[in-house]
Amino acid sequence: MYKLTGVTRLYRKGRRSVTAIAGLDLVIEDGEWLAVQGRTGHGKSTLLNLLGALDRPTQGTVQLDGADLGALRETQLTQVRAAKIGFIFQTFNLIPTLSAAENVEAALIPAGVARSRRRARIAAALDAVGLGDRAAHLPSEMSGGQQQRTAIARALVKEPKVLLADEPTGNLDEDTRDDIIALLEKLWRERGLTLVLVTHDSSLAGRAQRVGVMNNGRLTGAA
Amino acid sequence: MFFATYLRRELRRRMRQAIFIALGLALGVGLVVTVAAASAGVRKAESGVLSALYGVGTDVIVTGAAPGPPKQGSTSGNNQNSYGLQQGPDGQVELCYSNGKCTNAAGKTIDQLTASQQGISESKVAEAARLPGVAAAAGGITLTDNTTTFGHSSSGLPQSGSFTVDGVDTGKPSLGPLSSASLTSGHSFTAADADAGVAVVDSGYATSKNLRTGSVLTIDKITFTVIGIVRQPQASSPPDVYVPLARAQAMSLYAGSVQGKVTTIYIAAARATDIPAVGREVSRLLPGATVTTQSSLASEVTGSVASAARLANDLGKWLAVLVLIAAFAVASLLTMAAVARRVAEFGTLKAIGWRTRRIVAQVLGESVAMGAAGAAAGVGLGFAGAAIITAVAPKLSATVGGNTGPQASAPAGIRSAPVATFGGAAPHTVSVPLHPSVTVGVIVLAVILAVAGGLLAGSFASWRIARLRPADALSRVA
Repeated sequence: MYKLTGVTRLYRKGRRSVTAIAGLDLVIEDGEWLAVQGRTGHGKSTLLNLLGALDRPTQGTVQLDGADLGALRETQLTQVRAAKIGFIFQTFNLIPTLSAAENVEAALIPAGVARSRRRARIAAALDAVGLGDRAAHLPSEMSGGQQQRTAIARALVKEPKVLLADEPTGNLDEDTRDDIIALLEKLWRERGLTLVLVTHDSSLAGRAQRVGVMNNGRLTGAA
Repeated sequence: MFFATYLRRELRRRMRQAIFIALGLALGVGLVVTVAAASAGVRKAESGVLSALYGVGTDVIVTGAAPGPPKQGSTSGNNQNSYGLQQGPDGQVELCYSNGKCTNAAGKTIDQLTASQQGISESKVAEAARLPGVAAAAGGITLTDNTTTFGHSSSGLPQSGSFTVDGVDTGKPSLGPLSSASLTSGHSFTAADADAGVAVVDSGYATSKNLRTGSVLTIDKITFTVIGIVRQPQASSPPDVYVPLARAQAMSLYAGSVQGKVTTIYIAAARATDIPAVGREVSRLLPGATVTTQSSLASEVTGSVASAARLANDLGKWLAVLVLIAAFAVASLLTMAAVARRVAEFGTLKAIGWRTRRIVAQVLGESVAMGAAGAAAGVGLGFAGAAIITAVAPKLSATVGGNTGPQASAPAGIRSAPVATFGGAAPHTVSVPLHPSVTVGVIVLAVILAVAGGLLAGSFASWRIARLRPADALSRVA
């Protein structure tokens, strides 16, 4: 479970500072699907970074299962990300020189999964997203939808507790977008994931259990 | 293996850049190898020159002072080596000996034996051998036999010739001028030949005088049987004939005597580090003598071999260092640029749980792989450079010596002191081939340099990765 208390994130640029998030309080229960909407530059990605232990708050606390992420050392944060958090990015962020299977395998390495067990888990992950026959393909040999499926497989192969998706359908056409969202929903239901999804798309956000709107660094509607 | 797969794929993706970095390192390393090979070749040429003069195994040479002009009455009375010329009553040239006897010079041949340096008491050889740091000492004598042959016509000019004779300690074959000679016929001296009427002859002299093993030659009216013919290294100016030391000591000189004396002491030090101290001890033992070590002789070597040594050691070394620095700098800049382009990739890896040190290891692995490729290519370039030098470099020249005493002018018949020589060799120039050699040590150095260059390039990039915050890295993609 996530518990954010009085979280503020400031970015300093010389003498000026920009408030990305201001005094945010939020609780996300295990297995919940929260969609976060809002205009560009209002703090959605910053919120996702804080939830994903990619960034630390300037003030306040971000707790995941009772652990204050802001107080952990960098190596501890890395371990949290390796074990508990899966990421899906708008631009897929696959390693261009690695095949689909190897990109999925990249997530298992920090998790310390033995090489002998990796192959089966990679195959299962790719099958789960419908890419069993694309294991040897490079990202450049796949469509946008296939690349995003690979990214989803990479995020889920380590069986995380939390899935954070930043505009997962932002670079996809309408049909592919629907496929991806349907897939995410299916996986969320099957695996009991905690899913936080940032999106501009209201129809997509409407499928979530709870919708919050970031506006000038404050979250409304998700309390 | 994931690490190797990722590394290989990444290098293939930026193949041109990887080749460029590897080639840059190869150029620097190749230059280091070539310069080192050339330096080794020049050093080998120099030491060949020095060993030929010095004798292999000799660390210190002690020579007596140059002989002065013969004193009045110092020539032996009945010794036909001591003579003067005068015009006889019938206008003929007469030889007059110090015993007052005069004879017609027509058709006569005069032998004059002279020593190259003043004699040193033979007991000093044993004293030198007992000095601290000395492994062995041997004495030697260098004589020059000047012959003058008068024609039958009184108006004709006499014909002159000379050859050098070295008296060697037959019990110490590893010291002295014979130690660097190679046998081409027969055999060399044994300890049993200490007082025998045998001689070893230089191959050049043997050819000119049509001598072979078993031939007989005469020195100071004494016959010697040739038991062997030797060839000295090209850079030396070897004696023509070698005889046992005792026989040389017994020869009648034009002036003075070398009975119980030597003109040169050859000393081997126990360790290379003892050589300077041995030199000082010997100078104290023999204050009037000239004490020379190989390093002091090296400073007397002039000619293009010395120039080549300076070129390789100074210009060559610094050029190689500069090229290496440039190669390292280029490799570092290109690697940093590659890392900059992969910021989002590294941010993603950090986001999915990769530790910084694992990402750093990946980047360093790529850099080391390029360094290893540069090392392999550089060693190849180095061998090629050495081969090119061997093929196109002109022969080097080495000039050694110049330690001269009072000048003499041949032909004999006019009393004069001979030209004093260093160890028996007058200043001379010899041609020395240059053979660059690539040693295992240089290859290892080349590999280390190239890999170090790759590591250096990778370490700058690694520093950047370590400072990378994932959120910042990912924001560059969005």
